[in-house]
Amino acid sequence: MEEKKQCKGCGGALPFVIGFVAAVIAGWVLFPDMIYSKKTQPVRFSHKIHAEQGLECSGCHVFREDGSYAGIPTNEKCMECHADVVGSDPAEKIYVEQYAQKGKEVPWLIYQYQPDNVIFSHKAHEALECTSCHPDMAKNDTPPVYFQNRLSGYSKQTMKMWQCERCHAENGVSNACHVCHK
Amino acid sequence: MSGHAVKEFNITWGMVIDLDKCTGCGACMTACQVENNIAPMVDASNKMRTLSWMLVFELHNGKPAPEAEIAYLPRPCMQCGNPACVPVCPVVATDKNEEGGIVSQIYPRCIGCRYCMAACPYHARYFNWEDPVFPKGMEKALSPNTSTRPRGVVEKCNFCHTRLLKAKDLARQTGGNPDGLADGAYMPACAEICPTGAISFGDLKNAEHKVSQLSKDPNAFRLLEKLGLHPQVYYVSKREWVRKLGDNYAAGDKAGAEKKHS
Amino acid sequence: MGLDRRAFVKFVAGGVAGTLFTPVIWKGLDDAAIWSQNWGWIPRVPKGEVKSAPALSKLCPSGCAVKVKTVEGQPFAALGNKDNPMSKGGICPVCAGAVQLMYSPARVKSPMKKVAEGKLQAISWEDAEALLVEKLTALKGQEGKVAAICGDSTGSTAEVLSALVAGLGSSAFSVMPDEAYVASQGVKLMGGSGQPGFDIEGADLVLMIGADALDSWGPSVANQKAFAAARPVGADATAAYVYAGPAANNTSAVCDKFLAVPPTATATFALGLANALIAAGAVSSASDFAEYKALAAKVTPEVFEKETGLKADVLKDLVAKFKAAKAPLVVAGASFGQGAGARDFVAAASLNVLLGRVGQKGGMTLLPAAPKAIASAIAPAKDAASYLAEVATGKAAPGALIVYEANPAYALPQAADMAKALGNIAFKVSLATYMDETASLCDLVLPAAHSFERFDDAMNPYGVAKPTYLAGKPVVKKPVVDAKNPADVLLGAAGKLGLSLGVETGEDLVKAKAKAVGADIAALTGGGAWQGEAKGGALTLGAAALAKAPAAKADDKALALAPIAKLAIGTATLATPPANLLTIRDTELSGKDLFVQMNAATAKKAGVAEGDRVKLAAGSGEMKARVHVNEGVAAGTVAVLLGFGRSAWDEFTKGKGDNVYKILTVSDEAGTGLKVWAGSTVTVAKI
Repeated sequence: MEEKKQCKGCGGALPFVIGFVAAVIAGWVLFPDMIYSKKTQPVRFSHKIHAEQGLECSGCHVFREDGSYAGIPTNEKCMECHADVVGSDPAEKIYVEQYAQKGKEVPWLIYQYQPDNVIFSHKAHEALECTSCHPDMAKNDTPPVYFQNRLSGYSKQTMKMWQCERCHAENGVSNACHVCHK
Repeated sequence: MSGHAVKEFNITWGMVIDLDKCTGCGACMTACQVENNIAPMVDASNKMRTLSWMLVFELHNGKPAPEAEIAYLPRPCMQCGNPACVPVCPVVATDKNEEGGIVSQIYPRCIGCRYCMAACPYHARYFNWEDPVFPKGMEKALSPNTSTRPRGVVEKCNFCHTRLLKAKDLARQTGGNPDGLADGAYMPACAEICPTGAISFGDLKNAEHKVSQLSKDPNAFRLLEKLGLHPQVYYVSKREWVRKLGDNYAAGDKAGAEKKHS
Repeated sequence: MGLDRRAFVKFVAGGVAGTLFTPVIWKGLDDAAIWSQNWGWIPRVPKGEVKSAPALSKLCPSGCAVKVKTVEGQPFAALGNKDNPMSKGGICPVCAGAVQLMYSPARVKSPMKKVAEGKLQAISWEDAEALLVEKLTALKGQEGKVAAICGDSTGSTAEVLSALVAGLGSSAFSVMPDEAYVASQGVKLMGGSGQPGFDIEGADLVLMIGADALDSWGPSVANQKAFAAARPVGADATAAYVYAGPAANNTSAVCDKFLAVPPTATATFALGLANALIAAGAVSSASDFAEYKALAAKVTPEVFEKETGLKADVLKDLVAKFKAAKAPLVVAGASFGQGAGARDFVAAASLNVLLGRVGQKGGMTLLPAAPKAIASAIAPAKDAASYLAEVATGKAAPGALIVYEANPAYALPQAADMAKALGNIAFKVSLATYMDETASLCDLVLPAAHSFERFDDAMNPYGVAKPTYLAGKPVVKKPVVDAKNPADVLLGAAGKLGLSLGVETGEDLVKAKAKAVGADIAALTGGGAWQGEAKGGALTLGAAALAKAPAAKADDKALALAPIAKLAIGTATLATPPANLLTIRDTELSGKDLFVQMNAATAKKAGVAEGDRVKLAAGSGEMKARVHVNEGVAAGTVAVLLGFGRSAWDEFTKGKGDNVYKILTVSDEAGTGLKVWAGSTVTVAKI
């Protein structure tokens, strides 16, 4: 049959090249998209609106008396203002009716969620700028999309061990296992 | 990670346990399980399968009734200065590299070969033969201080290390010095709970911590001193028969014979 | 260009090669490794704010003020309260796992009604309370028809229960036999009144005869703190401690001297010591000193050695210790907290009278009667063992029995007979936190809230030197199961039965008691303690009671039975907490076998050896166990741990070992009218 004639020009390497290129494209373009599922926060919290009200970051993101960090505030803090609906935004209504008034904590998706065996102390890192590890949220109106790794279950933003180790090494801080693990 | 010399740090967390005050009540064993999320075992009489990071031994003076006497000896991990378990780990899941000298055991890294268990002469290391199963509902009451371990990893006492990190945070918050904690600012669960206060804990190198004096008591001894592992847990007893049980002696030797102190 | 096989293979090879230059494999492996560390069935630990709240634990009779640590409001651990003057930051092995006990699989999760033999079915609180009121209404006003057995000796809820019984026209209110009951009877025999107390903190020589004061007797945490204060590490002790009891135990392990006294020879030991002290010059101004001296003189060194198995010169050593002490104290008690009979108590307590230590600092004290929260509360007519013995014979015929935080089907001597006697009662209701042996055979089980889930209090825990009152409030908003404060349940029932007891809720009850005592309720629920003053009062030496010696049972084949209480293993009301199973040695329990302890000489005499399977029998009861040779046991004695042989509860405790309560034999104590079982004997046979 006629089809048996190979294309001499490629020297028979064309299928290989096509496969190679296809794999590279799939691996670099399609794979990152596929491995993460996209989720949204249960309540569309806007840092921008709250900052415009004159609230300081440390108003909600506080160090407690024992030195632990209240990263994402609980209902107790939010209800200081939002025990009832105070604005016009439908997102606030969802929060007040489905969470605050029902006494239910919002199941926020934590971008920097670390496994149980990791212990991170914000207090020890107080001297650093928040933006060393976190994005600048002050002007953020809609919470960023939460990309969850379908295989490991963690978010795309979760810092891996090498990132902590590198900064520790660069700053002469101990990289002993127990410093970060429990 | 030389493993053949004593590792020295500026701070050395250690214990001094007064065996003349230990009633063997077992509160330390229970508190340890609660703090470290060790699941209760249905057949806890099988001592080859129990996870007793803190274990209370019963000592006998070997005399017949009515001269028989008993004593109790709580044994946590010795956090040896020259540990036998660290150099044998093929994946460096355990290491003694942190200021304070607590030998760390990192569960996600452990491959469960149990070489460290064979190496430890105090039998202070335990293997998870099974996944932890808590009675229904009890998993809500877990302690935030220690991760749970799946089957196949080795675990051991770590002097409630998370409490050290929390004590440091508290020191930072209140303007104290995280590298110079006060006596009693950091206490493992067993030392905190002991109703007779038999377990004293602190920095053996810090003159302001009472353990630094207590460890130098003439009646203080360490278990299996002659092996040269330099444990950081000292025991004190006024009773000679109790001190002699701390190591192997030839007949006629006095307790403390050939004591190699660092 | 067609795709033939060679081209296809090249395409795939190219794909694989290309994949190696992408993150797919490397990231995939990394993520898979993380996936393998996060199996869904491995529990996650909580994160959040850690706080600590004060609470009162009634899990053991000590009634300790503790702190409960919570994370985001969820309790996870209990520890001592350093600011409390009683417990001073100490906590016992039962409380160490107290939070886990809130989630014990044995917890009664909702009201239950018996629908068939051995089958209980969940019902609603409405139906349960209606059933209770219905049954009690039918028996109202008839003497002895409504009975109650109370296991909580210090709480005000006991007053509500007794007032309920009295209000229904009955006087059949009894308590589980405990030290306080027997000791108060003993004090009566010594011409005094009130609950005795022991000032261990103020003494410089503490001789404990039977009383396991550093583990299972009295306010053991407070006792341990007093002990610790007198024995600083590395320095000289400021107090000496001696334990005289049937087996080496947790208390003896830290004492300066352990004297192995068989349980049948406790009074002999005390009188032998009295004889030696009198010979060394002790004189008492008590009115019956002459008779007492004559009685003590009967315990000659020969009699002493024969009955106790100890050499008479241990007395010389003890007398020397007493002479050197400025504030000696003799703590009297049964080695397992019950059944000792007043005579044993009098024999040991009389030593305090002999040495003039009653009402002195570091001595024995007498507590005034505590004020009542409920005016119509009545005192117990008798102890539960005596009462159920009457039910068994038909002398008492109640139509309904209310059991409150007690386990009479398990924790009474001749337990099997006791359980059978309960069967004689038509309607039984148990207010219990856990599904124990008694609740399992009741007609109605009402789940009681756990100590940390309710308002509760403790008045004069037995052994305290001064009147003491503690109170606690719940740590959580509501119980973790559908349980209620038993005080609320009883008060609700009383209201529906037309009785007005003066308070409406458990919270009001505790407030009323605090007011009657003169204590500040807020300070108490915040972790404090109220302490009053002991009253004065002279006591006699109780010679008249001591003279009525029981006939010596000379049975060569029988061994003295010494039940041993270890707090970690549980109490009369609480089975071993799951976390405490670890503390039980494999020479005590191995698999499902309980080991009874005896020394080598006793084993030889009984014809048994280490590890042998044996049957112990006494009365109509028997138990099976294995033998462990333990030199710490007194002569001619077999020591058996309490708390095993459970037939209810959960997989952690059910079916392990056997219940020694089954073989405790009860006899009537001459001259006191009390039932006694601390001097039980048993036969041991190899099987």
